[in-house]
This record gives sequence, C-alpha cells and structure tokens, in this order.
Amino acid sequence: MRVVVADDVMLTREGIVRLLRDSGVDVVAEAENADGLLRHVRLARPDAAIVDIRMPPTRTDEGLVAAQQIRSEQPNVGVLVLSQYVEPSYAMRLIEEHPERVGYLLKERVFDVAILIDALRRIADGETVIDPTIVSRLVGRRRREDRLGELTAREREVLHLLAEGLSNKAIAARLFVTERTVEAHVKQIFLKLRLDTNPESHRRVLAVLAYLRAGA
Amino acid sequence: VAFGIASLAAARHNPSGAFAAGSLIGGIAELAAGWSIVAAGLLFLLRHAGNRLGLVLTAAGLAWFLPEWSNPGIGTALGFTVGLVGFVACPPLAGHAALAYPTGRLRSFLDVVALATSYGGALLLLGLLPAAVFDPRGTGCLDCPRNLVLTTADNGLFHTFNLYGLWVGIGWLIALGALLVWRAVRSRHAAALLLPVLVPATAYLALVAWDFQHSLARGILSNDSFDRRMWLLESAALIAFAFGVAMPLFRERRARASVAHFVVELSQMATRGGVRDMLAQTLGDPTLELVYRRSDTDGFVDALGHALDPEPGLGRTVTPLLRGNATIAALVHDVLLLDQPGLLQEVLAAARIAVENEQLQAEVRAQLEELRYSRARIVETGDSVRRRLERDLHDGAQQRLIALSYDLRLLQVAAEANSHPEVTALLTSAGNEAQTAISELRELAHGIYPAVLAEAGLAPALETLADDAPLPLELRDVTQERHSAPVETAAYMAVAEAVQDATERAASFVSVRVSREAGRLLVAVRDDGIDRSAPLLHLSDRVGALGGSLDVGPKSLRAEIPCG
Repeated sequence: MRVVVADDVMLTREGIVRLLRDSGVDVVAEAENADGLLRHVRLARPDAAIVDIRMPPTRTDEGLVAAQQIRSEQPNVGVLVLSQYVEPSYAMRLIEEHPERVGYLLKERVFDVAILIDALRRIADGETVIDPTIVSRLVGRRRREDRLGELTAREREVLHLLAEGLSNKAIAARLFVTERTVEAHVKQIFLKLRLDTNPESHRRVLAVLAYLRAGA
Repeated sequence: VAFGIASLAAARHNPSGAFAAGSLIGGIAELAAGWSIVAAGLLFLLRHAGNRLGLVLTAAGLAWFLPEWSNPGIGTALGFTVGLVGFVACPPLAGHAALAYPTGRLRSFLDVVALATSYGGALLLLGLLPAAVFDPRGTGCLDCPRNLVLTTADNGLFHTFNLYGLWVGIGWLIALGALLVWRAVRSRHAAALLLPVLVPATAYLALVAWDFQHSLARGILSNDSFDRRMWLLESAALIAFAFGVAMPLFRERRARASVAHFVVELSQMATRGGVRDMLAQTLGDPTLELVYRRSDTDGFVDALGHALDPEPGLGRTVTPLLRGNATIAALVHDVLLLDQPGLLQEVLAAARIAVENEQLQAEVRAQLEELRYSRARIVETGDSVRRRLERDLHDGAQQRLIALSYDLRLLQVAAEANSHPEVTALLTSAGNEAQTAISELRELAHGIYPAVLAEAGLAPALETLADDAPLPLELRDVTQERHSAPVETAAYMAVAEAVQDATERAASFVSVRVSREAGRLLVAVRDDGIDRSAPLLHLSDRVGALGGSLDVGPKSLRAEIPCG
C-alpha cells in the first residue's frame, strides 16, 4: 500500500513513517503543510493520505480542509485524518460531504500500528473509519429520553461498530456471526431509533452519528 | 436731559436757523432721537462697564444735539463754538458705534481707517477748519455769541472748506455705510442680533449722505425744507438704532431668567446632555458643543463620559468655563457668539451649577466606562492566556508524548523480535503510561480552553460539552452564528458553569437556549435541581465585563451579552 504522510511536527511525522515502514507500508512522500500534501498527492497518486488536522499557517483545521479537497479532487485517494481532539464535530464535518474512503483517528491510536494498518485498509476498501473513543463518548452521552435503552446489549454492540464505520461484513467478522444476523440487528436498531431504515450504505455512519449527537 | 433741553431752548430761540424749527413734532423728534441714543449708551455702560461702546453711543447721542448749538440762542461763546466745530460729529460717532457693536472693539484695520477719515472729515474739514475762518457776526448774525476758534475771517476759504468737506463727507459716509452693509451680509447666525442695529445705522448714514449731496449745490450744510425732512427721517433712524442696541440688553436678562428656569428643570429630571441642549437653544447656536474636563486625567469627555477633543472647526471657537483657576468645561461654539459677550456671560453664569453638576456626572461616567474596559481587558487577557496554554499543550507536550509513544512502540517491536520478554513487558507498560498521559493532557487542555470553541464556534463547542456532561444537556435552538471570541467564550462559560452548578444541585437535566435578539446574545439555562443558594459571581463578572447582564434565578440563569 502506498501512502503520503503530512504532519508539521517532525518528531511525530517521522514516528508515523517509521511505524508504517516497519509494517511494510510504502510511504511515498512526506509533507509538512497542506500545500505540500496536495502537491505530493497529485504527483504520487497514493492509495491513501495520512493527514494531521493541525498544520500551518493557523494550526486549526487545515488538515480537514485539505482532506476534503483531496476527496473531491481525487475520488480514488482515501484520507485518514489524525487528530488530537476527541471532537465529534470535526469527524462529522469530515464525512459529511464524502462519507466513503475517509477516517478520523486520534493520534495516539497510531501507537497500536495494527489499528492504523486496519484503518488504512478499510479506507482503501471504501469504508469510513471513526475513532472508537469518539463513538464511545457519543454512545455514552446522557439523554433524558434515551431510546438507546430500548436496544439489547448485542444491538448496542452493533450500533457501536456501525458508528465506527464498519460494513455489515466487517461487523459480522468482528462479532463471529453471519452477515444475515448483522443485517437483522441493523434493521432493528434503525427501527428502534426511528431512523430511516434504508439509507445509502455509505451514509448510514453519518445518520447514526447525527442521531447519537442530537441526543434526543 | 439738560443737554437736550438746552439744545431745544437754543433752537426755539431762533426758529429759522434750527432743525427743531419751533414745531412740536420737530422738538419731540430731536429729543427722542438724542435721548434714546444717550439712554441706550448709558444702559450699555451700566450692563457692560469697561465696554467702550457705551461711551461712543452716549457721545453720539449728545453730538446729535450739537447742530442746534451753532445758533445764537445757545447764549455762551463756548457752547456756540462747540456747536460750530461739532455740528457733524454725530454721523461718525453713530457709524463708530454700529461698527464696534457689540464688543466695543473695531474688527478690522479697514474699519479703523474709515473711522479715522470720518472723524477727520467731520471734525476738521467740516468742523474746525471752516469754523476757524468763519466770523458769524461778520456774516450778519449780530446776536451770535463769539466764535472762540476764529483766526481770520475768510468767507471764500470757509466755502471752500465746506464744499470739500461735503465731497469728502459723502465719501466717508458711503464707506461707513458699505462697511456696515458688509457686516450685515456676513452676520449669519448673529443676524438676529446685528441687523436691528446695522440696518438703522446704515439708513441714518445714507440719509446724511443724501443730505450732503443735496447741500453740494449750496456749498454748505443748512436747513431748508428738504434738509428738515431728511433730518426728521434721520431722527427716526436713530431712534430705531437706539432700540436695536437696547433690546438685546433686555434679552440678556430674559435669557438669564430662562436659563435659571432650565436649571430648575434639569435638577428635577436627570437627562444626560440636557445642559448642552439648553445652552444651544438659549444661545441660538444649534451646533454648540459642551465638553467637560476630567479633573483626574485632564482629558475632555462629553456628557456620556466618552473621551473627545474640543476641536473648533472653521468659524468656531472654544470658550473655557472656569471654577477658580481650573477649567471644568469648555464650550465649542460659533465665533459670532463672541459678538454677544453679555449674553454668553449671563447664560453661562446662570447655567453654572447645572454645568458643574453635569461635569461631575460625566467624570464619574468616564471612570465607570474605563473600569468596564479594564475589566473586559482582564477577562480577555485571561482568555488569551488560556488559549495559548491550550495550544502549547497540544502542539508541544502532547506532540512530544505522541512521538515518544511511537518510539516506545518501535522499541517494543524490536525487543519482541530479539526475544527480550522482560524488556518487551516494560516497554508495553511504558507505552500504556504514555497513552494515559496523552489522554489526561488532552482533557487538561480541553478544560483550560476548548479549541473547538475558537475554531468551530459556540454551537459545536456546546455539542461537545453535552457529549461530556455528567447529566443530560439539552441544546434547544442554539444559534449557529459566529460571534467575537470574548462573546462566545462568555456564553460558553455561562453554560459550562450552569451545568456544573446543576450537577452539584442534583439536577436530572439541563436545558439550554442560545439566540440572538436585537444585537444581544441571549443565553437561557434551566434545570430541575434543588434551589440555588450561592450567586454565580465569577460569571456575573465575566458577563458584566462585556457590558452584559446576568439574571440568576433559583433554577435558571439568563445572560444577555451585547454582540454588535
């Protein structure tokens, strides 16, 4: 797999690059700002770009903006945004326009390089990746009338994985059940949460996240 | 008065040679004109001692009677001679008074030159010089008193002097008239004050000039029927002139009374800037500004306490108001108000207490305003320090910890490959420690300042607050608009503190509305906990620093923050 890595802090950038190379990922270019990233992506046409959310000049959300630009310019290039914020609004902003082939992971998640590799692979497969910490926080959010309470323990597990962006097939593999069972769970969940039962498959992450966020 | 009666007596003695000419109307006109001018002059002197104008006016009034003195009826040689020399002294004196009205000072070099010429023309060319060569007895006036300035009688020279005097006289009369007309045209704001004086004075001078022109054919000023008609008209013009001068003197008194009335009103209703409006109205200068001096900083402020500089524009000037030697306020007004020094003085004297009162209020307001600014600055400085701290933690310490955790991971992989189980275990635990440190650092940084607030705005920041809140936080109608950082921070802090407070009061939920209404951001928070006992002082400070208000109820909170 060929990737481009963009992070303005040299220490972390090199750390990521070494971890990736150690795991046999082909890092074709490194960038320290959004412009460099966009240039390398156009030239190298990687499978995915790993992007720090905070980059010069303002160190706010340059990474998010660059990620959206890459997604609209090059639909075949996946983008994984690495962030130090447990901030659902950033994650949702990322997947709002192009919900497939994007991911939002916390930076320290890279420490477990298997998770990073898995995320990159899922992105390359067209899935969406949302950091489990963010999903946990949303699922754990206090609500006055909590329809999540109507869900069974198994359904809650499935909801969690849905929100992380896993496909039915991936959820089935994770829970050691058949894909048909997962489909049935997903249908039940959407019914109980009164969500549109048949969203486009790549939009369902957004629907679930929006539901969890609204908290009603 | 005696002057007038003496003059009239002289005139009555020789009706054929006098203007008053023995008729009742003539006598009344003579006395009315002379006395009214003298009275106006004396009144002016009384009101404005030290203003030369009063003297000039009085002199003009007296000079009005002089032509009658050059009659045999005056009886004394001195009076007769003064009459001969000064019989045209009135026009230049009246012109002088009109030009110098109301300050008593002449306004330009041109005025001075014209007046000097006029006095010279009247007193020398038509006065002293012809008198010096005129022997009244030699010309047939046998009962005339002696001419004290007579040197040698020369009838030819007498006529020459008179003829030239008349020609020159027409010249200076027209010059004086033109100067007065020019002043009247330029009078603008002060027109109401100046025109009643300038118009009759100009008319008077014009009548005199016309009479001079009539006398050219004769070569000497005299009193035929035309002259008498002119003279009656001149009397009328002078009476009007006297009224023009006297009226404002009464008006000043009225103005003082009306200001005093205003002052009473002002003390009853405290309108900011009311003193300025009152002064502008009373002085008739709608553009008038009143600025107050702060005794602590020596800067100037308006009635609301806003700092400003008394900057007189074109045609405007600054009059300071003193208490002792210290300036307490300054009036920026039309230059032409200086033409009514009496009015300005009277009005300011009457308004003094109101001015001092408003000056104190303005000073307090200015200090309050500064206090509010300094509070706002303190809050803003605190916020920017927190924001920087948050950035430093994210971009510095956290990045290093993350890089360190990556290195630990690489070492761990290497240790595993070289089968060092103890080292591997140690590195795994170190890596987990680093992960925990990163999480804790993130929580800390978020607590110091939520980056999402500055980067994405109030609504997303409140969503995140709801995600993390230990109790249900219902966000209803939260505006998506962006506002300035201090406003958003204050609103966020209001909700954050309310949530914490509600948790402590065992509430089961918190409901929040944030809307924008009429330039204010309204934050309304409600919960169902037990009643609140302590006020939220810190919050009220923060909201107050932005000029907003905080209304805290037992289970509710409502903040209004101006947001432009």
